[in-house]
Amino acid sequence: MASADIAQKRPAVPSSPEPSTPPESGPKAAEKPESLFLEFWYSLKGNKAAMVSLVVIGILVLIAILTAIVPGILPYDPYAQDLSASFQPPSAAHWFGTDQQGRDIFSRILIGTQVSLSVGLLAVAISLAVGVTLGAIAGYKGGAIDTVIMRIMDMMLAIPSILLAIAFMAALGKGVDKAVIAIGLVSIPEYARIVRSQILSVKENDYVAAARVIGDSDAKIIFRHVLPNVLPSIIVRATLGISGAILDAAALGFLGLGVQPPQAEWGDMLGRGRNYIFSAPYTMIFPGLAITITVLAFNLLGDGIRDAVDPKSRRR
Amino acid sequence: MSKYIVKRIAQSLLVLLGVSIIVFLIMRVFSPDPAPVVLGEHATEDSMKAWRDANGLNDPIPVQYWTFLTGALRGDLGTSYYTHSTVASEIASRFPATIELALVAIIIASAAGIALGVVSAVHKGTAIDATSMVLALVGVSMPIFWLGILLIILFAGMWHILPSGGRVDPLLQPTGGSGLYIIDTLFSGNFAALGNVLQHLILPALALSMYSMAIITRMTRSSMLDTLNEDYVRTARAKGLREKKVTKHHALRNAMLPVTTVIGLQLGSLLGGAVLTETVFAWPGIGKFTVECILKSDFPVVQGVVLLIGVIFVVINLVVDIIYAYLDPRIKYSKEEA
Amino acid sequence: MDSLKPVVSRRKFVEIFGAVSAMGATSMFVSGCGSTSSGSATDTITFGQGADPRGLDPAYVDDGESAKIMCNIYETLLCYDKSSCDIKPCLAKEYKISDDGLTYTLTLEQGVKFHDGTDFNAAAVKKSIERQLEPNRNDDMPYASFVFGTASKGDGVKTVEATDDHTVTITLAAASTPFLKNLAMVLASPIVSPTALDKNNGNLNEAPCGTGPYSFVSWSKGQNVVLKANDSYWNSDKKAKTKNVIFKFISENASRVTALNNGECDIIDGIDDTVVDTIKNAGNSLFDEDGMNINYMAYNTTSSIFSDVNARRAFSKAVDVATLVKSLYGDYASAATSVMPLWMAPYDKDVAQVAYDADAAKKELAALNITQVKCITYSNPRPYNTKGGQVLAEAIQGMLDKVGVKVNIDTYDWTTYKTKVQTEAYDICFYGWTGDNGDPDNFMNLLADSNVSMNVARYDNSAYKALIAEGLATPEGDARNDIYLQCEKMVADQAVWLPISHSKDLAGYNPKVKDFVIHPTGVVWLWGATKSA
Repeated sequence: MASADIAQKRPAVPSSPEPSTPPESGPKAAEKPESLFLEFWYSLKGNKAAMVSLVVIGILVLIAILTAIVPGILPYDPYAQDLSASFQPPSAAHWFGTDQQGRDIFSRILIGTQVSLSVGLLAVAISLAVGVTLGAIAGYKGGAIDTVIMRIMDMMLAIPSILLAIAFMAALGKGVDKAVIAIGLVSIPEYARIVRSQILSVKENDYVAAARVIGDSDAKIIFRHVLPNVLPSIIVRATLGISGAILDAAALGFLGLGVQPPQAEWGDMLGRGRNYIFSAPYTMIFPGLAITITVLAFNLLGDGIRDAVDPKSRRR
Repeated sequence: MSKYIVKRIAQSLLVLLGVSIIVFLIMRVFSPDPAPVVLGEHATEDSMKAWRDANGLNDPIPVQYWTFLTGALRGDLGTSYYTHSTVASEIASRFPATIELALVAIIIASAAGIALGVVSAVHKGTAIDATSMVLALVGVSMPIFWLGILLIILFAGMWHILPSGGRVDPLLQPTGGSGLYIIDTLFSGNFAALGNVLQHLILPALALSMYSMAIITRMTRSSMLDTLNEDYVRTARAKGLREKKVTKHHALRNAMLPVTTVIGLQLGSLLGGAVLTETVFAWPGIGKFTVECILKSDFPVVQGVVLLIGVIFVVINLVVDIIYAYLDPRIKYSKEEA
Repeated sequence: MDSLKPVVSRRKFVEIFGAVSAMGATSMFVSGCGSTSSGSATDTITFGQGADPRGLDPAYVDDGESAKIMCNIYETLLCYDKSSCDIKPCLAKEYKISDDGLTYTLTLEQGVKFHDGTDFNAAAVKKSIERQLEPNRNDDMPYASFVFGTASKGDGVKTVEATDDHTVTITLAAASTPFLKNLAMVLASPIVSPTALDKNNGNLNEAPCGTGPYSFVSWSKGQNVVLKANDSYWNSDKKAKTKNVIFKFISENASRVTALNNGECDIIDGIDDTVVDTIKNAGNSLFDEDGMNINYMAYNTTSSIFSDVNARRAFSKAVDVATLVKSLYGDYASAATSVMPLWMAPYDKDVAQVAYDADAAKKELAALNITQVKCITYSNPRPYNTKGGQVLAEAIQGMLDKVGVKVNIDTYDWTTYKTKVQTEAYDICFYGWTGDNGDPDNFMNLLADSNVSMNVARYDNSAYKALIAEGLATPEGDARNDIYLQCEKMVADQAVWLPISHSKDLAGYNPKVKDFVIHPTGVVWLWGATKSA
């Protein structure tokens, strides 16, 4: 067992990718991709929770896109202040009440979907791109390169990710773009590790050896033969990673290190609302609910995908 | 085995060196200038320049790092820019609070998590299973700070049955000793104080444990299901052993192996989660303090804390690996990669 | 000397004699559920504040959280009156100022001892001050240059001499009217035990030792500072009435309110208007008095847009300060009409800022072709702005939006912000000031300062600077008041700042506690406070 792999910092919701057991979705290169996908889809379709979460995520994405294209569909302008209407409790006019500056909380939560989803997706995209590349290189090349890359990953893992992200934000300044970078950077090591350990187990396989004999280039072997085989576990990790990134973004917002005003971000709204938990609890309850529901949806989906790609867990 | 341990320790030291470089780069090279905050409202350009000179912030970057490193190797982590106290004393006065919170949280998380996990595995597919899985999912999905605030609103704000924050009533505060108040009050036999300490601990520990509890529940369940399907468990069943005995003697022990790993690792990540919990519950620990220091660009403190957490993280990993090796003789060290 | 005395004694004291038995019963119930809380013991008063003190050595700190604690441990040569910034004798029972305003002769109280048993005498005073004079002064003493001056600027204290055991002679480099008030400040000025200084390497941050009514017991970082009554205190008027005082640190505003209502604290500060009802509904009381502060927006007078006074005036017209203040701060801040709060400078009543007129603003701004303005602000709440600079900037952003000007806000954490006001090219920024000593120079000098970190408007006007220099050397009286009135009028006419509000000092307290004093300088005197059962 590769000892370093134990140190997965956030084995977020894994029911099986514990480091001790071999990679759950071992090489199945023999199957055709289409049939694999169909099998996966049927399996996922049978999972009620995953389908519900898929619907929820679909709605969230729809909200994010619609509010971006036609902001007019929002009940109120999420940035329009009306200081005479501050802290109105939930009512027919303002479903979730109004905040300090008299802005409609419901509208702000709807438009905040854009921030949370884009932070979640983009941060994961960064960690994926960098993490997968580094992990693939480390695992495939081995030797000194492997050692250097993985030791750097160890260094990043040894710093609590939230502290690292806070320090990044303090250095970079506020803003969604910077939050994306900070959150994306701190979870690179997790992806690098998963990919590396999977690659280690895949690269000794016959078809990889065969490709090598034919004289395929390293890059071609990695992208053609090795990565497709480790894809399932990366997808599972990435789905769960989105929920982690949304939570991290909310934490940064809560600590006042999130977005630039007047942008609406759920964690930031919650952080501002916490000063009014007695006089205006709705200012923090609804943003908190929005975060929880979104994160829950991605977690459920991640679980569903894992069950679908992992025949072993499907048996259960 | 001992060769393996030596090698791991050497690697760990290298990791710590790297950690110090990362923190140095972020805090010293890219973070805002601490001088205006340190010198306050009456700071002038001249006084700020003098202060930066005196604290070596105008030296070339490599020189600054070298100064820090040689100091750290002598055991001198420097003094806080802001409070002028030594970093060691700033950490020593706050770290026990975080440790106590994290330990209690991990105990709650492990006990509840393992119990829930075993029960759901044994009763797989039933309502009990479904309920605990939903609980676990919600546990990992809720922002810890939100949960904390909700707990405060309910228990302190509305029902007045638990304190809203802090570690202990100041007049009952145990003096000296380990800094772990449960232990200090227990040994001094001051049970009134112990009760007070526990009352203060319960909400933050609960909030902090939620995430880990969810992870442990899921891990235990899946690990139990794996072992319940293993041959030797089937054999035991076939031999006519009662289901309870099978669960207890055969399955549980083997299922605990991966669970141990996760618990060890969760202890590390709890230190990160403590940042938010401490903020919400006014817990006088190192996490909240570090965030404040990051925001004040108080480099020496941040560097000291992160190195300390790094050391703990590395040690936990090492211990977990060794325990693992001990529990699972199948692991061989000869093939250990770099 | 008494020119600053307010017309009416401004500050009321907390003297509420609650229905003792009824309240007692309620609190027994509340704290009974919450277990043994120090809130229920009558010999202990617990004060909840937002953060740890930075330290407890007056030479090394600059923050209000430290000052609130230190003012109960240390004493100064002179001190402020309970309700104003008028000067009264303290450790020095008399003082004499030479006609040229350069030599101060102070006669000290006799028989006073520090908490460690050391005698208080002229040598102790000399040592306390001299450690903060050049060349002993070090870079970490934030208030030393403000209180004791800088040689290179030709101001401040030249020498401190112990003429005899109980007489101290201080010689200034240049006459300075505010110096007397400086001597009463809780930062830098308190007299500390010379023995303790020797023992603690010259820094009493963690081992404070003074002559005050309370002595230091312990400081658990992040939790509390505990003080106990000084039994051998010299001044019977200020002898501590309650045995223990605890300062408890609770960073979240909402948690501090919960702690008060839960009986875990007796007094809390750092609150805003939104929690007032919560506090009152729980049977607790509210203390509010005008504070010595100003919350303002500054125009960058060197920026391309706002170097033009007409642009500044047009922009100011777009902001309805009264409505803004009302909606942001409720009843707990008053809209500012001048830089200094009126109670501090009653002559400011004749000062008027640019009046609100959105229509005129729209026309004028359009005529000046102003469509975009770059604004920087801070995110954290500040004593003069409980809502934080971001909320304030957003409110003004909304008002300017209505007159066709887009305000682009960049918000920074306070630490970063302090650097940004020096380096960033902004058009407007938000800032504030909390008075140190009650002297008008302390406020008006901000606009004459050569340091942009203090003079964020970068106002550079030689006539104004001449007025400030004149005010510094003019003895207190009508002539001096007139100088500062002229300063105020200049600031208003030229619209250098947009003064927004003077925030009130707010505190919530348990009605069983009475006679604590929140002084205009922001410190909390607890020696007179008592708590009934």
